[in-house]
Amino acid sequence: MLTFILKRIVNGIAVVIAASVLVFALVSLAGDPLASMLSSPGASPQTVAQYRQTLHLDDPIMVRYLSWVGGILHGDLGKSYSGQSVNSMIFSGLGTTLKMVIPAAVFGLVGAVFLGVVGALKRNTAVDHLISALSYALYAIPVFVLAILLKGYIAVPLNNAFGATVLYTIGDSTPGVPPSLSDQVRHAILPVFALAVYSMGPWSRYQRAAMIEVMSSEYIKVARAKGLGRARVVIVHGLRNALIPIVTIAGADFAVIVGGAVVTETVFGWQGMGRVLVDALTGPVSPDVYVVQGWIMVVAIFVVAVNILVDLMYGVLDPRVRR
Amino acid sequence: MTTSERAPDPLLEVRDLRVTFREGTDQQVEAVDGISFEVHPGEVLAIVGESGSGKSITAHSVLGLLPPLATVAGSIRLRRRTSGRPEELIGLSSGAMRRIRGAEVAMIFQEPSTALNPVYTIGWQIKEALRAHSRVSGRTARDMVVEILRRVGIPEPEKRVGYYPHQFSGGQRQRIVIAMALIQNPDLIIADEPTTALDVTVQAEILDLLRAHRDEAGTAIVLITHNMGVVADLADRMVVMYQGCVVETGPVSEVFEQPQHPYTRNLLAAVPRVGVQSAREPVAAPDRIAVEGRDVVIEYPAGFRRASFRAVNSVSFRIAAGEVLGLVGESGSGKTSLGRAVAGLNPISSGSLVALGQELKGISRGKLRSSRKDVGFVFQDPATSFNPRIRLFDCLAEPFIVNNSTERPQLRQAVNELFDLVHLPRSFAERFPHELSGGQRQRVGIARAIALRPSLIIADEPTSALDVSVQAQILTLFTELQDELNYACLFITHDLAVVDMLAHRTAVMRRGEIVEQGATREVLLHPQHEYTQQLIGSLPVPDPAVQRDRSSRRQAVTS
Repeated sequence: MLTFILKRIVNGIAVVIAASVLVFALVSLAGDPLASMLSSPGASPQTVAQYRQTLHLDDPIMVRYLSWVGGILHGDLGKSYSGQSVNSMIFSGLGTTLKMVIPAAVFGLVGAVFLGVVGALKRNTAVDHLISALSYALYAIPVFVLAILLKGYIAVPLNNAFGATVLYTIGDSTPGVPPSLSDQVRHAILPVFALAVYSMGPWSRYQRAAMIEVMSSEYIKVARAKGLGRARVVIVHGLRNALIPIVTIAGADFAVIVGGAVVTETVFGWQGMGRVLVDALTGPVSPDVYVVQGWIMVVAIFVVAVNILVDLMYGVLDPRVRR
Repeated sequence: MTTSERAPDPLLEVRDLRVTFREGTDQQVEAVDGISFEVHPGEVLAIVGESGSGKSITAHSVLGLLPPLATVAGSIRLRRRTSGRPEELIGLSSGAMRRIRGAEVAMIFQEPSTALNPVYTIGWQIKEALRAHSRVSGRTARDMVVEILRRVGIPEPEKRVGYYPHQFSGGQRQRIVIAMALIQNPDLIIADEPTTALDVTVQAEILDLLRAHRDEAGTAIVLITHNMGVVADLADRMVVMYQGCVVETGPVSEVFEQPQHPYTRNLLAAVPRVGVQSAREPVAAPDRIAVEGRDVVIEYPAGFRRASFRAVNSVSFRIAAGEVLGLVGESGSGKTSLGRAVAGLNPISSGSLVALGQELKGISRGKLRSSRKDVGFVFQDPATSFNPRIRLFDCLAEPFIVNNSTERPQLRQAVNELFDLVHLPRSFAERFPHELSGGQRQRVGIARAIALRPSLIIADEPTSALDVSVQAQILTLFTELQDELNYACLFITHDLAVVDMLAHRTAVMRRGEIVEQGATREVLLHPQHEYTQQLIGSLPVPDPAVQRDRSSRRQAVTS
């Protein structure tokens, strides 16, 4: 098991290094970020050249790469063109985004497991068909459409009915008010719901298939023949085994959720990772190379870490994988 | 304890049992059609039949374990342990049924590799069975589990109790499943093909274990099986089922001695027996050698978290042209690896393997492909060795097309000839594989292998997935074709009786080595190696008197 963990970690590091090369090459070679500055009337060629020097944009590409990677190893993602620390920009955005992603992943998983198990146990009945139809519908709706629908058809009528803001549709907390849990929850309900439902559709299908397969296996028959109650057979013997595949899929889908979060944030006006990326790509001096690179690297490291975690979870869930 | 005397009131009484399955919206399929039988305390009753006869469904209906699509009618009465009076099981509430399952009637299943939950330790699973019906403290439960594991013959039970199912062999897993059934001390054990998935030597041990338990605890056993040797070994009485009906019931000795129903007679006649068939004599002075292996080693290289594995260890053998070599061994003995190597499907690591004049060691892909048309391969499972979306005509025409050996207009003629050779109607050409029975499909499998009239056929357990009566037909066909087309053949099987029927010479494999080889008659009648003797001794013969004698002698030797 220990060698397995070590191998996975070494593997993960290799993936991160490869990602850094790719990210740096793609972003740094995409074009001259100062080109727009050069053509603007206010900037003299000397200012631009000096600016170029302070940003080390005139260094050879290898040197720039190594100094960037060296920074990352020290936990420093560099500075944006406006002189802000990329670290603080990204980590404040990341904090906001995780407030959406983590509850959405948890609710999405719980909901998917529930729908999938019910669908499998009630296989080919009206309940199953209803759940299937719902899953496919959720699968088919783009997350931003769902977010907009939630705003317009749930939040607005609800708030109008109560004559007060029950559910917020903008931001992750009310500015100027001391942070409270209820305030944050009321801000988070709609975006978390949209994002959770977004992954619930496909996940519940996987869960249903896994559960059907497990329930038709011989050890379920053996468990029934032992004289165990139905609930115990379904949960202890069935669900416990049917959770193994869904964990892998949810882990692999983590990047997809982050992608969905970037879109959802934009609809609900959260100042998260999505905002950071959009600003870096559309600001006055764009692309803001170090912000974009740092952003992608942080997300990449996160995804790799989650996948390693999933592999370790797999070892916990399935004794056949352990050594 | 013998139970030939009829106890006045049976433990289990099945009367006019009917099981129908709903198929589609309004179609009903009768799986069990009004059968009756009874089981007395301490008795071993065998329910015998081929696949589709309804024997497994009967067994499952006793414990209410049929899928929801099934409708059960008739009467199943069990004498309850608490009241001592018979109680109707059909229509019992699920709670009441649950109290019977495991506690009074336990079940053992066919496939030990899937009968245990892979994510829990075996100790946990046996303890769960114990606690399903009785309150037992943790300490006592653990002691009881260790004790029962010891009784079913698991070595080092104190340590093994914390192991997971995948850490045991198939035979050990079946022992664990049996332990799970025994620990609740039921009055009746229903064993559904308990030894079908196991090697003969392991089968013999499992049968001994069941017999010992019956003798000690007086537990009645319902033994579902298709294997007449197993019936002869263990059962007191037998019920023969055919197409959902009971065609014959009686004490095992009587039924074997004087089968009344024609189906029973056919079934008994179809069972291959060692040393009864006239084993074919080997070619005395072969003029040509079809296959010659010298010190063949096959090694699977180390992979991710896997050490390298030597499947075949320095094996030498030869097959003369037109000769059938039977390769016998238990699972994991390396016989399939060797067969695949002869077909050029596995590379060999060292030694020399010459097939049809072609050295296979280090052969190039191109050369291998050109020599493939002289080698035919018959696969084990006819259900999965055909592409389900291709009609049989295209399937059988494919070898000709690939090898450009036949002009398109003559293809129909060539395929028709193949159907004639394997005694199937030509009209089958338009069918899909799923429209054929298992036996018919294996005939097509053989037709595909002989399509190009190869001089060498490799058959890997071609009859092990088939019922005995079908198996007998396929083996007859195979012998017939071999006489007619005179190909050399490597016939891989775990069944000594099959070898007896068609192999000129036989080689016995164990743990990657050939321990004995020679003329089939010699090997079977005068086995020299201890392992061959053990194999032959473990094979249950379909004759109750002989088999009882054999198994008691074997037990005396092993204990």
